[in-house]
Amino acid sequence: MTQKLTSGVIETYIDNNIFVNCPFDDEYKPLLRPLLFTIVYLGKNPRIASERSDSGENRIDKICELISESRYSIHDLSRLKSEHADEFYRLNLPFEFGIDYGARLFGSDPLNTKKHLILEKDPYNYKIAISDISGVDIKNHKGEPDEIVRAVRDWFYETVGINEADYTKVIWNRFIDFSTALFDNYKDKGLSDHEIVEEIKKMPIAEYLNYVKLWVDEYIKSP
Amino acid sequence: MAKLVNKQNTQHVVPHPDGGWSVKKGGSIKATKIFERQNEAINFARRISINQSAKLYIHSRDGMVREKYSYNADPNPPIDK
Repeated sequence: MTQKLTSGVIETYIDNNIFVNCPFDDEYKPLLRPLLFTIVYLGKNPRIASERSDSGENRIDKICELISESRYSIHDLSRLKSEHADEFYRLNLPFEFGIDYGARLFGSDPLNTKKHLILEKDPYNYKIAISDISGVDIKNHKGEPDEIVRAVRDWFYETVGINEADYTKVIWNRFIDFSTALFDNYKDKGLSDHEIVEEIKKMPIAEYLNYVKLWVDEYIKSP
Repeated sequence: MAKLVNKQNTQHVVPHPDGGWSVKKGGSIKATKIFERQNEAINFARRISINQSAKLYIHSRDGMVREKYSYNADPNPPIDK
């Protein structure tokens, strides 16, 4: 039976979602894993472009759907600067931030109440590369996994309104416990330590996220 | 998808958010002790793990497990005379 969703249900759904716009390559995964863990730990649902794999689906349509279903968003623009000579300047991340910003400016309720967090590696790079940004929270993670936990946790406290957010060190130590449980889960499958480390490194983000949700449900929401 | 289980009696060497490396007991939200260098933290955690027959996990900078060791307490420890 199809149930008609009321506007209140839709608003709660959108309010719970955080669109995450960041690189998904192996180099960024040491930051992405604690970033996603922190969002789930603090009670929100991360929405990412790689959460489902459908080759028939247009990528930009998928991005726009995620943006329209998320009240909050986190954009990591730390790769605004090319690191090597002749390296192409990748524009997907700032382009998707632009769509999200436009949704806040021109969208109707609840999109016009969207809140964005921009993550940067070092302070002030964005002022050179994308100086038009204003009225948006910007925090630095210095390329460090524990600093990204701090940046996201502080934004939850200041902007999302989670007034009882655990301190960074608590969330980080919980993340350590989660990563241990994830490791041991593979151990039970008869793999060597080295094989487990490699398997976890290559795990699809959607699968990783499901494990995070499973662990948080088990140990944090109903300990 | 199988349920993830946090095993009891584990020690962990982990990067500390204020810098350096800390040793923490599995399930604890506080560090037992903080060290400037990772090898100092490993030595300390190894001693506790041997004493308590605990499993020792060494984590990478990104928090993921890098190595795991199991220890059993010496059933016949030397007696001080």
